Amino acid sequence: MFHILLALADKERHGYHIMREVDERTGGNVKLGPGTLYGSIKRMMADGLIEELEERPDPELDDERRRYYRLTDFGFRVASAEAQRLEQMVRSARAKKLLPRTKAG
Amino acid sequence: MSRTAKHFLTIYSILLLAYPREFRREYGSQMVLVLLDCQRDARTTAARRRLWLRTMFDLIRTAPREHLNHLREENNFMRKLQTDLVAIGGCVLLIVGALLLLNYGRAHQVPSILLFGHILDALVFTGVVGNLIVFLLVKLTRFRPLRIAFWTFLIVTLVPALALTVIAAGGNSKISAPNVLVGYVVSFLFWYGLHWLWSNKLKPSETA
Repeated sequence: MFHILLALADKERHGYHIMREVDERTGGNVKLGPGTLYGSIKRMMADGLIEELEERPDPELDDERRRYYRLTDFGFRVASAEAQRLEQMVRSARAKKLLPRTKAG
Repeated sequence: MSRTAKHFLTIYSILLLAYPREFRREYGSQMVLVLLDCQRDARTTAARRRLWLRTMFDLIRTAPREHLNHLREENNFMRKLQTDLVAIGGCVLLIVGALLLLNYGRAHQVPSILLFGHILDALVFTGVVGNLIVFLLVKLTRFRPLRIAFWTFLIVTLVPALALTVIAAGGNSKISAPNVLVGYVVSFLFWYGLHWLWSNKLKPSETA
């Protein structure tokens, strides 16, 4: 679910775009199937994390059957909170020398 | 697109019957569309085979899960309906009970200046108006029902109590200010107490 939130964090996307974004970002480690993707989308819409766009962003260049999704304000806050939680965990792991120190840190 | 790819899409469209009808109606065409895009991207035969295997595995894994979720949603709906019906029934019974009690008081000539008469008046008034407002607010807003009940009954109790106290202080001998106050305090405690009991003790668990 967090992968989908991340995929939608910067812009609205349709199902296939979400799939591709997750696949590319994880280096092919996470591949969402159609059932997993739309099952998650359904639950995230029910929870108010994402919403469907009423109009396609680029109707001229796109298949009219496609449905686009974007984060809601609540979804953005949830994604942000989860990212902070993960950052905190990584910081703790780094402090315990489970991860190499970054140059910036 | 190759003939094999077309066949696979047709087979997948049929296999979508494994999902619940509502899910299929809502997302079936989108799932086929996504698979069509994926097939376009898979250029080699090996990549297409991997895609098909992955898609079949995804279907086997997610179709039962969607059925389970669907059953859970139906269950939740029935439980919510049952809770709502019990709540409405309870309110109606309480209001009818209060009206019967008021009729009894009047039939036995309990004058409204007596404490009993004031309590009955307050119980009926706050019961009818307060429960109606609570019911509407619970349905229309997302505030916690018990909080809604508290503020509603507080306002519905305070406003008439203060109004009647002012009238009594103005020289109306038929209304006794202390009795009015006691009546509305009892009424508030009665109705809010019932809602508290309903929320904390009687309401069926929604987490099951």
